[in-house]
Amino acid sequence: MAKSQSTQTHGSSKKVRPAGWQIFMVAFFLFYMLVPIISTYAFSVATRWDRTILPEGYTLEFYQRAFSASYFTITLRNSLILSLSTVLVSMLVIIPTVYWVHTRLVGAKPLLDVLMILPFGIPMVVLALALVQVYNFPPMARSPFLLIGAVVIYSMPFMYRPISNAIQAVDANVLTEAGQSLGANIFQVLYRIIIPNILPGILSGSLLVFSTVFAEYTLTSLIVGARFKTFPLLLVEFTRINGNVASAFSVISFTIAWLVSILILWVGSMGHTSKAKTI
Amino acid sequence: MAYLELKNVNKYYAGVAAVHDFNLDIEKGSLVSFLGPSGCGKTTTLRMIAGFEQLDSGTIRLDGTDIVPVPPNRRDIGMVFQSYALFPNMTVRENVAFGLQMKKTPKAKINQQVDTVLEMVRLQDTAKRFPHQLSGGQQQRIALARALAVEPRVLLLDEPLSALDAEVRVVLRGEIRRIQSELAITTIYVTHDQEEALSISDKVVVMNKGLIEQVGAPEEIYRAPNTRFVATFIGTANQFLGKISGKNLVVCNNVELSTSSLAGFNSDQSVVVLVRPENIQVQAEQSRQKGWNSVAGKVETITFHGAITRLGVNVNGQRVVADITVANTQPVSLNQSLWLQFPPEACQVMAVEE
Repeated sequence: MAKSQSTQTHGSSKKVRPAGWQIFMVAFFLFYMLVPIISTYAFSVATRWDRTILPEGYTLEFYQRAFSASYFTITLRNSLILSLSTVLVSMLVIIPTVYWVHTRLVGAKPLLDVLMILPFGIPMVVLALALVQVYNFPPMARSPFLLIGAVVIYSMPFMYRPISNAIQAVDANVLTEAGQSLGANIFQVLYRIIIPNILPGILSGSLLVFSTVFAEYTLTSLIVGARFKTFPLLLVEFTRINGNVASAFSVISFTIAWLVSILILWVGSMGHTSKAKTI
Repeated sequence: MAYLELKNVNKYYAGVAAVHDFNLDIEKGSLVSFLGPSGCGKTTTLRMIAGFEQLDSGTIRLDGTDIVPVPPNRRDIGMVFQSYALFPNMTVRENVAFGLQMKKTPKAKINQQVDTVLEMVRLQDTAKRFPHQLSGGQQQRIALARALAVEPRVLLLDEPLSALDAEVRVVLRGEIRRIQSELAITTIYVTHDQEEALSISDKVVVMNKGLIEQVGAPEEIYRAPNTRFVATFIGTANQFLGKISGKNLVVCNNVELSTSSLAGFNSDQSVVVLVRPENIQVQAEQSRQKGWNSVAGKVETITFHGAITRLGVNVNGQRVVADITVANTQPVSLNQSLWLQFPPEACQVMAVEE
């Protein structure tokens, strides 16, 4: 109410001064989000920080210990393999399914919407233990393949939502028919027309899945454990040994997630900028 | 043998006939309109020709071969959609080139063909733009160019102008007709706008409730409608219900109307007499022309339409519509009593199912 009134009195050309409570809300939000991150960063370079408000001294020693940890490279590699394969499998499953449901099986959409909430409703411990019991034969038993299958399910809603919304925004049916009337088969329609038009949805889905899976602990620990150690497992291990090194690992994990996000966004925006140049 | 033949085509949705026993021959190079109210089956028929809907029974033959089993992407039939359906991720040039790329046409040939069709729709200078940077009318021209680029055997247009402004619609329908005749491409044009259908078609197919009501040249459809539906859907027609009372005479509402030949009707049969508003002459006094019908009435409404003024006249309790042109009219005022006169030839008589 207050906002709409002030907009009316000041007119749209003038900037409206935010009310006190609005400033407070923004400040509270930033405080809530940033304090843990800043503290983690600070703790990873603090010498001693239990008697004072600010750390007593600063050092890079914990990073050195983190980077030289025996499993550092291999867990990082495993985490990347796990996250990227999950993104890939998830895309391969979700894109055709969403397209199919939106164009040919519209009646099944509510069912799919409900199915995509299920992963949130099942406790991950239950999911992991059930999968381990059912797939107790080689090559699946406690293998990275089983893990990938499990995290695909667990992260599926993150891929499904953005893609479903994106495909809803373009008229997939008419675009498909237009493509077909010009001689394109269904794969050419998907590859040349549908996918480029829902690319923003695919990218944001990939981003969410990548960062979720990169930080995944429960399923990994219960399904494969030490057989396929990932970065979060190493991090948790170090919380028991040295909190500062664990913080350094967290910072490294954040950084990688951010770098990958930036990379994905950059790749996504390349298409747009190259278009802009041709105009 | 006609170029495109539809034989006994049927389509049902949940047991209800969307298209019922549809039979039509379309000559090569002609422009045929499917005209009818929404839900009459015209778009469904078009989509069956395109291959986007399956027939429940019947055959569609194109140039002698049955195309029903052929998937839509191999039918060589171009389509223009109401919503344009341009690919938003591609430039105008890429959109137009798409069909040729699917055909694996050599690059040089593609470029040449794209230039040709863009020139045809007079939009060469938009080639590097994206669809969202064009107006609706321009987008539909590009959609037309895109469909024509592959030189399809048949061009289907599904209400192509419905989403556009009235002014753009009139210009663009002229363009469509010009290009269609230049290329002599067999075209089917679906519309619910009678003016559009009448002005550009070689042949009009009037449809209602999944059935063909009449097929004919635009003038034929207008001048000699076969059914009451056609008479009232195309243009306006006054309807006088009555009974045949003698040789070329029908009594309607206590007024005797003389009509053209009533051969084929029984005496005392219930009929409806249809008279178009433009065939009615309005007179202040009864100066009856020999043989003409003349009825008295009172002006209830006057609506100015520009070239004509439409009068709503109360004749014995029935509303009769008559058009007067600016040139031949003495001023008419509301509640004025006047005489409506029309020749027997202007009366078309149709049987009424009792």
